[in-house]
Amino acid sequence: MGRVLVQRLGSALPIMLIVSLITFGMIHMIPGDPAIAIAGISATAEQIANIRHDLGLDQPVLTQLWRWYANLLIGDLGRSLLLGQPVVQVMMQRLPVTLALSAYALVLTLTIGLVSGIVAALKQNTWIDQATMVFAMLGISLPNFYLGLLMIILFAVDLGWLPTGGYVALSKDPLGWLATSTMPAISLALLLAGLLARITRSTMLEVLRQDYIRTARAKGLPNHRVVLKHALANALIPITTVVGIIISLLISGSVVTETLFSIPGVGQLLTQAVLNRDYPMVQGGLLITTALLVLVNILVDVCYALLDPRVRYDGA
Amino acid sequence: MRRYSFMLLAGLGLAVPVAHAAPFKCPTTGGDFVFGQEANINTLDQMTSSTISTRNIAMNIYETLMTRDDNNRPILELAASMEEAPDRLTYTFKLRPNIHFHNGKPMTSADVVASFDRYSKVGNQRSTLDNVKSWDAPDASTFVIHMKVVQPTFIEALSSFSVPIVIIPSENRDVAAQQLTNPIGTGPFQLVESVPGSFVKLKRYDAYQPNTSFENRTGFGGYKVACLDTVTFRIVTEPGARVAGLKTGELHAVEDLPTKSLPDLKKDPKITILPLNNWWIQIADPNTSAPPTDNLLVRKAIQAALDMDEIMDAASDGNYRLNVGFQYPNQPSYTDAGKETYNLHNADLAKKYLTEAGYKGEPVILMTNKDYPSMYNAALVMQQQLQAVGINAQMKVVDWPTSVQLMLNTTEGWNFHFTGWGTQPALGALATMQFLVQPNATYKPKGGVDDPEVLAIWKEMNDLPTAEGRQAAFAKMQKLVLEKVYAIPFGSYTKVQGTRANVGGFAPFRIPRMSNVWLTR
Repeated sequence: MGRVLVQRLGSALPIMLIVSLITFGMIHMIPGDPAIAIAGISATAEQIANIRHDLGLDQPVLTQLWRWYANLLIGDLGRSLLLGQPVVQVMMQRLPVTLALSAYALVLTLTIGLVSGIVAALKQNTWIDQATMVFAMLGISLPNFYLGLLMIILFAVDLGWLPTGGYVALSKDPLGWLATSTMPAISLALLLAGLLARITRSTMLEVLRQDYIRTARAKGLPNHRVVLKHALANALIPITTVVGIIISLLISGSVVTETLFSIPGVGQLLTQAVLNRDYPMVQGGLLITTALLVLVNILVDVCYALLDPRVRYDGA
Repeated sequence: MRRYSFMLLAGLGLAVPVAHAAPFKCPTTGGDFVFGQEANINTLDQMTSSTISTRNIAMNIYETLMTRDDNNRPILELAASMEEAPDRLTYTFKLRPNIHFHNGKPMTSADVVASFDRYSKVGNQRSTLDNVKSWDAPDASTFVIHMKVVQPTFIEALSSFSVPIVIIPSENRDVAAQQLTNPIGTGPFQLVESVPGSFVKLKRYDAYQPNTSFENRTGFGGYKVACLDTVTFRIVTEPGARVAGLKTGELHAVEDLPTKSLPDLKKDPKITILPLNNWWIQIADPNTSAPPTDNLLVRKAIQAALDMDEIMDAASDGNYRLNVGFQYPNQPSYTDAGKETYNLHNADLAKKYLTEAGYKGEPVILMTNKDYPSMYNAALVMQQQLQAVGINAQMKVVDWPTSVQLMLNTTEGWNFHFTGWGTQPALGALATMQFLVQPNATYKPKGGVDDPEVLAIWKEMNDLPTAEGRQAAFAKMQKLVLEKVYAIPFGSYTKVQGTRANVGGFAPFRIPRMSNVWLTR
C-alpha cells in the first residue's frame, strides 16, 4: 500500500507540471487581457494602457512564463490581478466554502442516490423501480439553474422558509450556513444523485444475479445481510469510481449554482478569473484544484484496495 | 486672486449652495441596509479602478477635494475653499478642519500630497495631472497645485468621478496599483469586511464630519450623514435572484431589475420602482480604417438605414429614451446638434448613398459580445436593418475582453464595435469627446492620425477661456462626428432600480449613495 501511495504521489508531480504549462499557454492564447476587465466598460484606451503597464502585462509572454515558474519553485503562486490578493490566500478563502457545500451535497447525493439505486434494484420492474428511475432521470435532465430558481420561488419567496441566496460561513453560524446552503446543496445533489442511482441500480442488478448471491440466499441468510454484506460490498467498486468523479465535480465548483445563490466558491472564482483573464488566478487556482483532484483519485485508488482484497496493488 | 468657497462663483460653472437652512437629520437611525449589486467587485482601490462596481462601494468610503453635485457641477468636498491665481497657474485649497480618517488619524495637507503622489504614479486617469507642474503643502491645512500651462478645464477634470483622486492617509502613498486592500478614507462609511464574490460590509464612521456648507447630500458630496448602522453590498449577479431578494425583503434595494419582472413588482405595495434614466448611451463605433466603412458614403448609408426605436427597444428591453448625440438631455451641456443625421430609417436614402459609394456587397462586420446582452441585441437588430437595405452585415460575437482588445489593437476583421458610454457622458462633454481623439480615437482613423477637423475643435473644447465658448465648440464637435459618422449613438439606456417601502432617502444616481438613507421601522 505504501509503495502505491508513493508511486501515485510521484506521478502527480509531472501531471501538475503539464497542467500548469497547458493552463499558462491556453489562458495567454485567448485574446483580451485583465486590464480591460479591471478598467470597466466606460474606460478609455489610456486607462487600459495604464493598467496594463502597472500590472506588467506589457512584458513578453516568455518573461511572464519564466517569472511564473521561478515563483512557483519558491511556492509563490502570485497575486490575483483583479483582487489584488495572493492567489493562495484567495483560494484558501474560497476552498472552505466549496468544500463545505460539496460535503453537504455529497451526503445528500450518497443518501438519495445509493438508497434509491438499491431499492430500485431490489424492486426491479415494479412501480417503485419505475418511479425511482423517473425521479433519477428528472434529476439528471432538469438544469440545476432552473431547479434552483424554482426552489427560490417556492421555498424563499412563497413559503419564506429559506433565504434567497447569500452565504454564511459554517464556522461563524452553523444554522445560518445550513439555511443558506440547503437549496444550493439540493440543486447540486439531485443531478448527481440521479446519476448515482442509475449506476447503483445497474451494478446491484448485475451483482444480484451472481451465483454467490444465490448461494448466500440458499444458505438461508437474511435478505438484509445478503444485500448489504454480499451484494452491496461487491457493487461498491464501480460505485466508488462514480463517487470519485462526483467528488471531483463538486470540488471543481458549480458555477451555475454558486452564481445563482451568490456563493463565493471556487467555481465562480475561477470562471470569473477566466472571463477576466486574471492569469495568476487561473494558473494558481487550477494548479491547486488539480492537486486536490489528484488527491481524490489517489484516495479512490486506496478505497479500491480496502474494499477488494483481490486488488493487488503491491504487485502493480 | 479669485476665491471660490462654498459661496461659489458662476464663472467656473461651479455649484452655488443655497442659503443655509436646517441641515438634514436622519428620521431614524440604525439597521443593516442590504443592497443587491449586479456585478462582482474586483478591488476597492478606487484610484486604480474605473469600474462602476468599485465606485458603487468605494465612493461611500472615500472623499475627494472636489466632486460633482446632483447636476454634475463641480463642488468642494474636503476642501473648504479654492483660490485660482489671476494667471490661472496656481490653485490653492484650504482643507476643512477636523476631518479624520477611518483609522482615527487627522487629515492634513500631507495626506493630500501623498494622495496626489500616488495617483500620479498609479492612478488610472493620471493624465488629469499632465498639465500640473507640482503640488505642495505650505502648511497643514493648505494644498497648492502649480500648473505648467493654463488649463481652463482643470477643475472639471479634478472633480471627475471617473477615477477620482481620493484622499488616502500618507502611509499608503507607495502602495502599488491594485494592492490597496484595506481602504481607509474619510467618508461616512468605513469598511468592515470584503468577501469577493459574496459581499462587502460597511459600517457607519462615527467620527464623520458632515460638510456644513450644505444642507443635504448632493451628487457625490454635500451634507452627508450615515443613518444606517451598516450597509451590506451583496453580490447578486443573477437577475431572478435579485427580484426574489427584493420581494422577500432580504434585499432593501437592488439595481438592474429585469423588465419582465416589473409588472409583477409594480403591483407589490411594499416595493418602489426607481428608473435610473440615462444610465448609458448605447453606441456603435465604426472602424474607419477598414473597408467598406472607410468610405464615408457607406457609413452614411448605414446611419440612414437605422431605426433607433427598434434597436433601443431590443437593447434595453423597452427601457430607453431616444437621444441625439453624446450628452444626456438633462445635462447643461446637452445639445441636439447633428439631429438631422439621427434615427432616419430611410431605406431609399441608404440605397442612394450605397450606389454613390459603389458598394458591391463587401461584408460589414458587427463585432459584439454576449457578456452585455444590450450590445448583442443592438447588433442583432442593426444587422437585420442593414441587410434590409442590401448591406452584407455579418455578426462577429466574441467575449467582452476580446472585443475591446480587437478594437484597440487591430483595424482588421471588424467594422463596428458595440459598447456603451456611461460614466464619461455623465461627466460632461469634455470627458465624452476624449473618446474621439488619440490615444482613444474609437473611430480608428487611418494610420492612427486624427481627423484634423476633430483635433481643431477638440483644442477649442479644451482651451477656450469661457464655458460658453467651450460648449459651442462641443456642439460643433457633435455635429461633425455625427455627420462624418465617427460614432453611431442609438439612444439612452434606462436602468431600473427598486427599493422596499421601508427605505427612505434612496435616490437613483450613478452610484447607490448610502448616506442620508434610512430604514423605517
